[in-house]
Amino acid sequence: MAAEIELVGSFAEEEECIHAVEALRRSGVEFRVFSPIPSEPLIHAIGRGLSPVRMFVLLGGISGVLTGIAVTVGTSWEWNLIVGGKPVVSWPPFIIIMFELMILFGGLSAALSFFFFARLPQLEPIPGYSERFGADRFGIAVECDEADSARIEAMMREAGAEKIAHEDPRPESAEH
Amino acid sequence: MAAALEPINTNPTYADIDRGVRRIMDPPGVIFWLWIGFCATLVAIAGALWTRQIYVGLGVSGLRQPNMWAVYITNFVFWVGIAHSGTLISAILYLFRTRWRTAVYRFAETMTLFAVLTAGLFPLVHLGRVWNAYWLLPYPNERDLQPNFRSPLVWDAFAVSTYLTISATFLLMGLIPDVANARDAAKGWRRTFYSILAFGWRGTGEQWRHFQMMYLLLAGLATPLVISVHSVVSWDFAMAQLPGWHSTIFAPYFVAGAILSGVAMVITLVIPMRRLLHLEDLITTWHLDNLAKVVLLTSVIVSYSYITETFITWYSQDQYEVVTFQARYFGHYGPLFWLMVWGNCVFPLALFSPRMRRNTTWLLIIMIFVNIGMWLERFVIIAGSLATSFNPSQWGFFRPSITEIMITVGSFAWFLMLFSLFSRYLPIVSMTELKEGIQWLRQSLRDNYYPDLPGG
Amino acid sequence: MTSQPQASREASRRPIAPQVVPGKADVCVSIPIVVVCSILTLIGVAGFIAGVMTETEPHAWEAFLCNFLFFFGVAQGGVVISAAFYLTQARWGGPGAYRLAESFYFFLPIAFVLFWVLFFGRAELWPWVTKPVAKNPTWLNTPFFFAREGFALLAMILLDFWFIRVSQRVDVRQWALSNDNIMMPPTAIRRLAPAVAITYAVVMSLIAFDLIMSLAPAWKSTLFGAFFFAGAFWSGIVAMALTAVILRGRLGAENLFTRDSVMHDLGKFTFAFSVFWAYTLFAQYIVIWYGDIPNETFFLVVRGALIGGPAGYTLYTPWMIPTWIVPVLVWVIPFTVLMGVKPKKTPAILGGVAFLGLIGMWLERYVLVVPSIEPRHIPFNWIEATITLGFLGIFGLCAIPGMKLTIAAAAAPQVLEAAER
Repeated sequence: MAAEIELVGSFAEEEECIHAVEALRRSGVEFRVFSPIPSEPLIHAIGRGLSPVRMFVLLGGISGVLTGIAVTVGTSWEWNLIVGGKPVVSWPPFIIIMFELMILFGGLSAALSFFFFARLPQLEPIPGYSERFGADRFGIAVECDEADSARIEAMMREAGAEKIAHEDPRPESAEH
Repeated sequence: MAAALEPINTNPTYADIDRGVRRIMDPPGVIFWLWIGFCATLVAIAGALWTRQIYVGLGVSGLRQPNMWAVYITNFVFWVGIAHSGTLISAILYLFRTRWRTAVYRFAETMTLFAVLTAGLFPLVHLGRVWNAYWLLPYPNERDLQPNFRSPLVWDAFAVSTYLTISATFLLMGLIPDVANARDAAKGWRRTFYSILAFGWRGTGEQWRHFQMMYLLLAGLATPLVISVHSVVSWDFAMAQLPGWHSTIFAPYFVAGAILSGVAMVITLVIPMRRLLHLEDLITTWHLDNLAKVVLLTSVIVSYSYITETFITWYSQDQYEVVTFQARYFGHYGPLFWLMVWGNCVFPLALFSPRMRRNTTWLLIIMIFVNIGMWLERFVIIAGSLATSFNPSQWGFFRPSITEIMITVGSFAWFLMLFSLFSRYLPIVSMTELKEGIQWLRQSLRDNYYPDLPGG
Repeated sequence: MTSQPQASREASRRPIAPQVVPGKADVCVSIPIVVVCSILTLIGVAGFIAGVMTETEPHAWEAFLCNFLFFFGVAQGGVVISAAFYLTQARWGGPGAYRLAESFYFFLPIAFVLFWVLFFGRAELWPWVTKPVAKNPTWLNTPFFFAREGFALLAMILLDFWFIRVSQRVDVRQWALSNDNIMMPPTAIRRLAPAVAITYAVVMSLIAFDLIMSLAPAWKSTLFGAFFFAGAFWSGIVAMALTAVILRGRLGAENLFTRDSVMHDLGKFTFAFSVFWAYTLFAQYIVIWYGDIPNETFFLVVRGALIGGPAGYTLYTPWMIPTWIVPVLVWVIPFTVLMGVKPKKTPAILGGVAFLGLIGMWLERYVLVVPSIEPRHIPFNWIEATITLGFLGIFGLCAIPGMKLTIAAAAAPQVLEAAER
C-alpha cells in the first residue's frame, strides 16, 4: 500500500475555499473542511443537505406538549378540587404549561441532538486541524495516497490555496 | 491593535478581531479586583440581611397589609424584564438576519443569563419559608399534593425555569466556537477551562452544519419563549380582579417594557465597558445607534399602553378603576409616577434625533433614566394598585425597610459582579459572528469618519 | 439633501439605470377583471339598497360595517407593512416588496367615502345613538364620534398617500435595490415610515374601540385596539402572499415572485404574525376567563367562546361555530401547514393558506361585530352575501392602480438582479 498522507490546504478567503470544495466534490475526493466562521455558502457547497437536528427538535417539542398535558391534566385529576371557580381540567392555564414545556424539551433536544450529530465532546484531536483554522484561515484536509497527492494539490492551488502542508494522518500529540 | 489614542483601524481583518477580543481575556488588574470586592461586599451585606429575614421573619421587610407584594416582586419583574432584551437581540434579531446584532449580542445574552439568575432569587427572598420552595414544582409524594396549575404563580415557576434553562443553553451553545478560538490561544488553567466549555470543537464542515441548524432552531424557540415568559409574569397581576391590575393589555405591554428596560441596560453596560476595554472599533456607534432605535420603538409602545389604559379607564367610568388611576397619577406615589413617565416616555423621544443616538454621553443619561423609570413603573403598578384597592378603609401605602433597600442594592451588585467576571474570562464579544459579518463592521467604521453619509 | 453625496459615490462605483422601474404605461389592465369587479360592485349596491329598504333587521348595515372593517384593514395593513419594511431596512425583495405591500392603497380614499355611509345606519348599529350611555355620554355621542373618526381616518389616509408618494421616488427605489451596504433609506422616508406606523397604531385602535367595542358599550378590553390592528396587519400580509402567488403564475417567465427566497419570506411573515394574532387573542381570553367578571365575560359568552366557565359551565349557542372556525383558519392552519421550509416555498400551499386566512379574517370581523347586534342567531342571508361581493368588487377595482406598479416592479430586471444578491 502506498503511504497515506494528510494534505492540508489553507485558504485566506471564503470564496477560494468554496471553489476548492466544489472542485474536490466534482472529482469525488473525500475531504474535511475547517472554517472559523459559520458560512452558509460553504455549508451549501459541501452539499450534505439539511441537518437531522430539526427532526429531533420537532419530536422534542411534541413530547413537551404531551408531557405538559400529562402533568397538568394528570395532577389535576389526582386531587380534583374546583379551585377559584375554575374547573378541574381548565384548558387556558394548561395551554401555558404545555407551551413552556414544548419550548423546554425542544430546546434541550436541539442541544443534545447537536452534540450527538456533531460528535461532541470530541476528545481526540481531528487530523488536519490547525489553530489558524479557528482564527482566520479556512482549511481543507484530504487523506490520500502519495500518488494522488499531486493531483489534489493542483486542484487546491488552482482554487487559491495559500499553503499546502503534508502531515501525518495519525498524529500522536494534540494539535499544535 | 488600537489603544485609546491611536487612530481606529477602519479595515479590520479576522486577526484584528481576534486580537481585540482576546486581549479582554488577559489577566485583569488590581482595579478590576477592587471592583469585584466592592460588589461582593454589597452582596454579602444583602445576604446577611436576607439571612436575618429568614431567621426573624418577613416582618423585617416593609410588607404590611394591604401591600403584601412590593419591592421584592418589583425587583423580580424588573430583572426578568432586563433578561428579555438579551434573548431579543440574540434570538429574534438573528431570525431577522439583522446585521448590527453581531457585536453586541453576546453582551446581551450574558446579561440575560445573570439577570434571570438574579430574578430567580427574588421569589425565594419573598418566601417566608424558603426551605419549602420546591413545592412549586410537581413531584410524586405520598399525599398526592401537586401544584395548582390554575395559579399564575405556578405558570411563573415553569416559565422562568424554562427561560433560565433555554437562555443558558443558547448562551453555552453560541459560545462553543468562540471558546474554541480562545482555547487555541490560551495556556495553563485557562486552556483547560476553555477546552471543557468548547467540547472539543474544531470547526469542521459537519460540525458547522449541525451547529447552524441547532442555533437557528434554538433562536426560533427562544423567540416565542421571550414573549411568553414576560406575558406569564404580567399575568401574575392581570389574573387578579384588582383595578389597575386586571387589564388585557398587560401581556404585550409588559413585554415591550421588558425589552425597553433590557436594551437600556445593555446600552448602560456597553458604553462604559467599551471605553474601559478599548472595544470602540468592534462595537461602533452604528451598533449603539441601532440599539437606541429599539429603545425608542419600545418606549413608544409603552407610551401607547399608558395612554390606552388611561383612556379605557375613563371610557368605562368604572368607579374603582377611576379612583385607582387618580391615586396613581395624583396620589401618594404621584411623583414616582411622573418620574416614570419622564424616564420611559418623554426623555427617550430625544432618540428621534440621530445626533442623540450617536452621542454616548447623552445615550447613557437617557438609558439610566429609562432604567429608573422602568423600575418605578413596576413599583407603581404593583405597590400602587395594592395600596388603593376596592375598599378605602383598607388602603395603606408601602414604605421600604432597610432590608429591602439593601437587598435591592445587593441584587444590582450581584448582577454586576457576575457580569464583570464573565466579561473578563469568557469572550464577551462574539468573534465568530463579527468575522462572519465583517463587511458590515468595516462599513460602520468608515461611517464614523464620514458623518455626512446617509444615516447621519 | 444628505443622500446626494452618497448617491454620487454609489454611482461612481456601479452605474444604475436612471429609471429603475418601468412606468405604469407599460402594464395594461385586464378587461375581464374590470368587468367582473364592476358587476360585483353593482350587485353589492343593489343588495345594499334592497337591504336598507326592505328588511327590519339591520342585515345591510351589519354587512357594510364588517366589510368596511375587513377591506380597510387589508388596504391599510398593506401600507403599514411597507412602512415596517422601511423601518427594518428590508431589501430582500427590492422595490418589488414595497410595491407589493402598497398594492391596495387606492382603496383607502374610497374607504373614507364609504365610511360616511355608516352615518345613515348609525341608529341600527350602535345602541348608544338612540339610548345614550349614562356613564360616558361625552365620548359616545353622534357628533363627537363621527367628527373624531372622520378626522382620524382623513389624517391617516393623507399621511398614507404622502408616504406612498415618497416611497415611489427614484432615490428610494435605488436604495431598495442596493442590498450590500448598511446605508439607511433617504431621509424623507426615514421620517415618514415611523409616522405612518405610529398613526396606524393610534387610528386603528381608535377605530376598534369606537366602531366595534362601542357596539357593546358595557364591555371593555385594553388590548382590543392592538388585537384589531394586529389582525389587519396579518390580513395585509396574507393579501400580499396571495397576490404574489397569483402574479407568480401570470407574469410569465422570470419575475420576482418566482424567487424561492421571496416566497419563503412571505411564508415566514404569514407564520409569525398569525402566531402574534393568536397571542393577542389568548392574552385577552385568559384575562377575561380568569377574572370571570360578568361585565367582561358576557362578550365571550354571547359568541360561544367561553369554554370551561364557572365550574365547567359552557354555553352552547349557534355563534360557537363561526367563532371557533376563526382561530382554526387564522392560526391553526397557517401554524401547522407553514411550519416547514418546503410548504412556505410551494406557491399552491402558501396561496391556499393565504386564501383561507383571508376568509378567516373576514369571519373574525363578522364574529366581532354582529353578535353584539344579533346575539341569538346568525343573521347571514343573501343581503349580506351580495354586500360582501360588492365590497370585493370595489376592492378589486381599487387594487388596479397599485397592482400595475407591483407587476412592473416584479418584472423589472434590476429588481430580479437585486433579489439574487
